[in-house]
Amino acid sequence: MIILKDIKKEFQLGQQKVKALKGINLEVDKNDFVSIMGPSGSGKTTLMNIVGCLDTPSSGNYYLNNQLVSELDEDSLARIRNKEIGFVFQSFHLLAKNSALDNVLLPMKYAGTDINEATERAKYILEQVGLSDRINHGPSELSGGQQQRVAIARALVNKPSILFADEPTGNLDSKTGDDVMNLFKELNEEGQTIILITHEEDIAKQSRRIINIKDGLIESDTKI
Amino acid sequence: MLFKESLISAISSIRSNSIRSFLTSLAIIIGTAAVIAVIGIGSSAEKALEASIDDLGGRTLYVAPGQNRRGAVTKGIIPLDIKDAEALAKFKNHNWEISPTITRNRQVKLGNANINQRIGAYLPIHFDVRGYELELGRLFNEDDNLGRKRVVVVGSKIPSELKTGAKNLLNKEILIAGTSYKVIGILKEEGSTGWQNPDEELYIPLLTGAQRVFGTQNVDSINVGISNDVNVDEIMMSIEQILRAKHDIGPGQDNDFRISDYSQFSDLRRQATGIFTLLIAAIAGISLVVGGIGVMNIMLVSVTERTREIGLRKALGATHKAIMLQFIVEAVLLCVIGGLIGLAFGTFILWITATLFDWPFALPFGAMVGSITFSALVGLFFGIWPARKAAKLDPATSLRYE
Ligand SMILES: Nc1ncnc2c1ncn2[C@@H]1O[C@H](COP(=O)(O)OP(=O)(O)OP(=O)(O)O)[C@@H](O)[C@H]1O
Ligand SMILES: [Mg+2]
Repeated sequence: MIILKDIKKEFQLGQQKVKALKGINLEVDKNDFVSIMGPSGSGKTTLMNIVGCLDTPSSGNYYLNNQLVSELDEDSLARIRNKEIGFVFQSFHLLAKNSALDNVLLPMKYAGTDINEATERAKYILEQVGLSDRINHGPSELSGGQQQRVAIARALVNKPSILFADEPTGNLDSKTGDDVMNLFKELNEEGQTIILITHEEDIAKQSRRIINIKDGLIESDTKI
Repeated sequence: MLFKESLISAISSIRSNSIRSFLTSLAIIIGTAAVIAVIGIGSSAEKALEASIDDLGGRTLYVAPGQNRRGAVTKGIIPLDIKDAEALAKFKNHNWEISPTITRNRQVKLGNANINQRIGAYLPIHFDVRGYELELGRLFNEDDNLGRKRVVVVGSKIPSELKTGAKNLLNKEILIAGTSYKVIGILKEEGSTGWQNPDEELYIPLLTGAQRVFGTQNVDSINVGISNDVNVDEIMMSIEQILRAKHDIGPGQDNDFRISDYSQFSDLRRQATGIFTLLIAAIAGISLVVGGIGVMNIMLVSVTERTREIGLRKALGATHKAIMLQFIVEAVLLCVIGGLIGLAFGTFILWITATLFDWPFALPFGAMVGSITFSALVGLFFGIWPARKAAKLDPATSLRYE
């Protein structure tokens, strides 16, 4: 499903060039559950952004479902982010002035889903993550764990092929962190492809495959 | 659905920055208010003026008692009276129509109905000069006038004011100030002219009014109807000569009457208001454009502030078009709300002014639609650049923005 061939990414910081990724080769199959680990600044988020079509590599080829991503135009990329990819960000990234329901509705609005169908689906998925009694609450009225679950519901609502989660448990206590991981395991068992970024060994061990990144290169790739 | 989402997002954004939004749209508010008020006041004033001018092709000079004190020797004012009007009428060098008037409010009764109404005493020629038409019965004539007959022609609304029908009222006797008058005619509906409503007036012959109702030979004013092709200055000189002689005003003394030429006055006024209106409209237009630049500035700030939100929306699948739409809708909404507030404000100023000067109050619909459209266009024009800036943001970088 995902094939990365010698992906490099450089950032221009003033006069300096930062080499964030120095040649990544990676394949991820459907229904995999991958953890990406590595020290801060090693290029994990950069990699996720590229695989998630949020960013483009400086060089190398990226095939998503046998399609060379660099050949796609802006609108096709937007459509892929909308339909094929679900993001759960480290810092939740919910719209502060919108309710949980409206936050979950957002991807479906961009997909052009009928409003009634969309509302029904959003309510169903919020129920799945255990928030049926919080749908009209805004982010400021929700706990960190609840906010993260809203973010997960939003990521899943368009039934993406791949779910990306950048340190989804980083801001949560270990109990709520475990809840999130249990949810991910359940989803994966139902067939959801998941790519997870984490610092924590315990979290990574709960997935099926651990990839270690250091200085923009894959150091190790282990199946569990 | 996308448009609705843009609208909701725009409203919430404007509301959560309400003070900033208000200050931003202030120039738009002032611009629109100025357009509405000035154009509205201009046309109200013109309508009021037109209402007071005889609209029957020709012009009417208006002679009323009064004095311009210029420091010269002055005598007391001698009021204008019926004799003055007769003297003017006798002067046959000019082909003019002399129509003196006395009007007062008096009690009018028919059976149980008792109303206080405007009674006007006129020469028969008055109906002609005004172009009033008859619905039922007849108008009074010179014989009625000379005979001081107790006859009355009533405006179209009078029958219902007296709680009866037009056919019923015809040839009935009604009481005016306690004396019985025969209703000989009922006029067609004329419509209010703004100053006064001819439909709600009762018309009696001048001499009847002078002798029987008002008990005075003094008239309120004398209207001199002339055709458009005559030399107005010559006419004015004739009027002055005749009236000065009648009032025994010696050389060097001021007139004790005023002659006004409303049509001439109004031409000048119209020209002046036209220029004035144009000027203010231009300033208001500039104000709207300046307002647009302010809106653009704030929208640029807003785009920067909401970089992360834009990044997130793009990550969730918002296209270039969707982001553009969101920010353009916000800019247009900001301007249109400003425009609507300005419109309400301008209408209020217009209403106050019209009420104060007793002018007819009419909404300047063209200016209203025009100014709202213009503010929407300003929002559209000045919203495009910030919106494009937002749509072009790189999603990965935007999400990192603190
Ligand atoms: N937009 C950017 N502009 C400049 N440098 C960047 C940009 N994005 C990432 N970098 C740099 O690239 C390197 C990798 O960053 P990245 O965010 O991928 O690290 P990470 O592994 O996700 O770290 P963390 O665990 O702290 O989130 C870092 O040195 C970072 O400073
Ligand atoms: Mg990171």
